[in-house]
Amino acid sequence: MSIQEQYRKKAAELLSSGEVKLVIGYGAGSTPERRRALFARTADDAALLHVDASCDANLSGYLVTEGLLSDKKKIGIFLRPEGIRSVNILAAESQLDPDQIVILGFTEENGTISALQGTHASDFAALMTALKENRTPSEKEQALVEKIEAMTPQERFAFWQAEFAKCIKCYACRQVCPMCYCKRCIVDNNQPQWVHTSSHTLGNFEWNLVRAFHLSGRCVECGGCDRACPVNIPLRLINRRMANEVLDAFDHFSGMDQNQEPVLASFKKDDPETFIL
Amino acid sequence: MTKILLRDKLDDCLTRWHAAGFDVVGPVRKNNISQYATVEKADELDLGTILPDRTLKDLFFPQTEPMFSYRISKQKIDTEEYLPPGRQRIIFGARPCDASAMAIDDPLFGWDYQDTYWFKRRNETVIVTIACTAADEFCMCTSLKLAPDSTQGSDILLRPLGDNRGWQVEELTDRGREAFSRIEGLLEESPAQTAALADVPVKFDLDICREWLQNPENFESHFWKEISMRCIGCGTCTFLCPTCHCFDFQDEGDTYTGIRRKNWDSCSFALFTMHTSGHNPRSTQSARWRQRIMHKFNYFPGKFNMNSCSGCGRCTRECPVDMGITETLQEITKLSQ
Amino acid sequence: MSKPFEPKIVAFVCTYCTYAGADLAGTSRLKYPPNIRMVRLPCTGRISPMFILKALQKGADGVLVSGCHPGDCHFTHGNYHARRRWTVFRALLNFTGIPLERIRFSWISAAEGVKFAELISSLTEDIRKLGPFEQYKAMIHETEAPVSL
Repeated sequence: MSIQEQYRKKAAELLSSGEVKLVIGYGAGSTPERRRALFARTADDAALLHVDASCDANLSGYLVTEGLLSDKKKIGIFLRPEGIRSVNILAAESQLDPDQIVILGFTEENGTISALQGTHASDFAALMTALKENRTPSEKEQALVEKIEAMTPQERFAFWQAEFAKCIKCYACRQVCPMCYCKRCIVDNNQPQWVHTSSHTLGNFEWNLVRAFHLSGRCVECGGCDRACPVNIPLRLINRRMANEVLDAFDHFSGMDQNQEPVLASFKKDDPETFIL
Repeated sequence: MTKILLRDKLDDCLTRWHAAGFDVVGPVRKNNISQYATVEKADELDLGTILPDRTLKDLFFPQTEPMFSYRISKQKIDTEEYLPPGRQRIIFGARPCDASAMAIDDPLFGWDYQDTYWFKRRNETVIVTIACTAADEFCMCTSLKLAPDSTQGSDILLRPLGDNRGWQVEELTDRGREAFSRIEGLLEESPAQTAALADVPVKFDLDICREWLQNPENFESHFWKEISMRCIGCGTCTFLCPTCHCFDFQDEGDTYTGIRRKNWDSCSFALFTMHTSGHNPRSTQSARWRQRIMHKFNYFPGKFNMNSCSGCGRCTRECPVDMGITETLQEITKLSQ
Repeated sequence: MSKPFEPKIVAFVCTYCTYAGADLAGTSRLKYPPNIRMVRLPCTGRISPMFILKALQKGADGVLVSGCHPGDCHFTHGNYHARRRWTVFRALLNFTGIPLERIRFSWISAAEGVKFAELISSLTEDIRKLGPFEQYKAMIHETEAPVSL
């Protein structure tokens, strides 16, 4: 039985037994290559689920939809490893109760899908450790990161200015990110207005910087923001750079477990300080 | 015998138009994105793309536009207006769906108030469209009763020649004729074999949809919740839609000086209808999605006899979660049958 | 003849250490350049990176953020949180091309009036040599300019 068939069966069982009220997974999209979020409530719905290499969206963001988990019932959700990290972070930040989440985990290697063993977020501790130890970017991404780091500050600024000039402030990056769950984003506040909402280059620069900062130590590098951006700004580079920083400076890898302290809400007395005069 | 414009004459056309005081704007691919931008030479134009990522509305309704600056002093408030640049432009190579969309927004921007910013630019711009010989799976102009060679909103329609050497010229308006009179000697008279137009299958029944939307019983239908469950409430579909026109005012400045700007806004945003009291009449994403569909295919046609959609398909093409109006209208068509 | 460039530097300082140190510099009649504009907060833990962005948005050529030495925070651990924030924000600023010489961080205690005066002097000279933050100012000018299309 293929992974897809196995998981369809599993989802159908979870739904018909009443263990979960909903399974969030992937369904066919508007083209053969696309997948879209599917909200299965019955065994019949479960038959439409897809589990394959095209299922790349991080669905954990849907778990914090207002009111979804307030009836204390369980929800099943298909997650890749970074999605499981997202659930851990959401739990650590008190946004959901991990006991309500039944994880249907899968991972992909070169187009082949394999199922992950475990159903509760805490079942995946070994996987989280392995992810921390084996962080490698794609070749293309690494090449671009190196190219940027080799630039002078002026060149780097010009590079990002050209990228951010494209931004249309659609906030797709924010909306698709499971970690961006604030009911009122900082950019939506106008008392005070910290960051310009207009999409001139300055406003775009400020927005993207603020979002990257608010994600530091929280981003799971699922790539959702990068894929969502309609004007192809390479957002994953910035978020990756921040993830590298918190790992190097504080040995922090987000999403290890549900009790992990957020990196910017905690400290060590001997945290590094190389630049403070 | 028809008028033909050959590709290899395009650079000379640009020279003539520049000399006559026109800026030339067209689809340009730069920095991983395709949009309408000013060009100096014909080879900067990317005329082979099916549809630029960004729309023609960027040129008439900029994403962010200063309206006036203000300075507050003890006795008074001084303001200084910002007006649109005032440049004659020829848009070369717009797609018919994009041009149709500008014609759809004209009655909107001239409805209860003549929007100076919109009309000044409209009156100074000539739109030259190129009919589509290729479409992708997201195009749906035909479902909106338009076509790959629609003339709505266009001043000149160019039909690609079968041998790809250029285009057959169809003059549609006086403004178009005037602009093309500048390149008179560069056009040829010859018989033309035009290329076959793109095949864009009809995806939903617009009349059935309108009827379903107009029925008050369907306003509270559970359909809205089901169809919009995965919508994440970003502004991609609204910002990349050539007909969407909502905007917000933002004063940027400090205590005594600043600039009032007009910025694109989106009905998909959660805070779009947030009242100062704290009440939000469209507090769920399904209510916001319903509004989007109702506005485009029920309220707007009720007012202006045109759907607020030209079938370009960008909403579905660009949506991060594969939504878009096509699926909704297809489902409504199915529901009604 | 145009006026020589005078750097505009905004300093975000904590009340109990750096601000007191600045006061001490004043009462000791130590001279330091008048280019800094000080903004006093209760603690560096209150200082959000938004403040730094806002200073740049308003045309600052340089920003200083300063507070109590680790272990000496009036609120016990505000500066520990600040330190982590600064490390992370600095990496972000660097990656996006904002020259790190323009954004400085320091620990200055209430007793370090001399250190304060010396730091402000050297910082002002450094920024003077770097010149105005033209790249950022170009972005600011764009916000005041009419639309080109």
